[in-house]
Amino acid sequence: MSVKRTFIPAIVAAAAVMLAGAVQAATLENLERERGIVIEALLDPSLTPRQRQDKIAVSKRRLVDLERMVLRDKSLAERHDPVVRKAFDNYDLTFLIHASVEKNAALIDHWLQQVGVSTHTLMNARLGRR
Amino acid sequence: MENRSANVPDLVKVILWLAAIVYLVMALTLPAAAGTPSWQPNASERLVKLPSTYLKKAIERDFEESDLAAAMSDVGSRIVGKSRTLEDLQAAVEQAEGEVKTELRHQFLAEKQKFIRLVGERQELRQKQIKTRIRVYEKLLAKLERRGAGSSPAGEKLLEKQKQARQRFENSVAAVDMKLFGSAAAGESKYARDYSKNMAVIETLVSAVKKHPMSAEPEIDGRPISKQDYLRQLIANNGSSLALLDQEENILGYMAKLVALDAMALAEEVAADDGGDDGVEMGELSVSSAVDFFINR
Repeated sequence: MSVKRTFIPAIVAAAAVMLAGAVQAATLENLERERGIVIEALLDPSLTPRQRQDKIAVSKRRLVDLERMVLRDKSLAERHDPVVRKAFDNYDLTFLIHASVEKNAALIDHWLQQVGVSTHTLMNARLGRR
Repeated sequence: MENRSANVPDLVKVILWLAAIVYLVMALTLPAAAGTPSWQPNASERLVKLPSTYLKKAIERDFEESDLAAAMSDVGSRIVGKSRTLEDLQAAVEQAEGEVKTELRHQFLAEKQKFIRLVGERQELRQKQIKTRIRVYEKLLAKLERRGAGSSPAGEKLLEKQKQARQRFENSVAAVDMKLFGSAAAGESKYARDYSKNMAVIETLVSAVKKHPMSAEPEIDGRPISKQDYLRQLIANNGSSLALLDQEENILGYMAKLVALDAMALAEEVAADDGGDDGVEMGELSVSSAVDFFINR
């Protein structure tokens, strides 16, 4: 009887603590890092087309997983910092792979479109001094 | 120098007086404080997180371990003993005669008075218990409501955006899988494989949790209610217990009044018995018996 009295509250307390303490993985930070690497690969003039393609293919697989981790991360609902706000302000830029596949566009085309660079804007651009 | 040495005994005197006063105050207040049984439950975060059905039990368990519960149990057992004494005395009074009967009736009244005092003591402790319980429930309710009202408009907006993003993701995930992992060459990643495996386990566990009797949502009239509503219900129930306790105090008051009346009656009877012959004489000298004085001249 005394064993019951001693252990049951202890077990309940432990369970409550376990429920309360969710695993804190920096999912969004990891995604941002990987996204930075992909964009760098997209813009790096020193890479040959083949090298760029290989680099993007590797990052793309990682990005799919990281994007899903962020979208499934419930701890982000409790974070109201600017990083999270900025990330969810623009789905198309944050979740590059999912958005590009959804729109049936190549990754580079999708990204350029999102940052406002299109064939039309490029054709209209003029070289000048600022 | 002399002046300073003259001041030293004065200072010692003042210190001694102060020490005596402090000792006296402590001696007067400490036993009173130590003698009052208490129950001081904490409306902790752990309680807020507990399932509704377990919440009440956890508070009751905390109470059972308190000084107040021990005092209530002690008074309860003394009341049981006292009611047995009263039963015995009542039976004895019915069988006794003469002076022994008067003595037993006196004792019976004295025991009744003690019984009422004990019941009054228990009422006070119960009142303390219920009031403390209500205070804990109110604190828990306030915590729950603060939690619900904690998000700002900006936070709400962000939550809504996250919800929309998840919705959009859920709608496109099948198409993305088909396009990215459709070919045999590009299989699923370790994360995707493990995620699906874990998801199946989680779903089994979630259904087990839902079916578990301890996670059953509390109900009122067969309808499930939220934790806040459950706490409000508990507060209302305890409020009605307090009201009933108040009514029971009235009953005790009437009991005490009856004991006082019985005591007065007993005192009158004893006085009448002590009067003895005077009473008989008074009876003989009644007004009706004196009528003859007025008729026969």
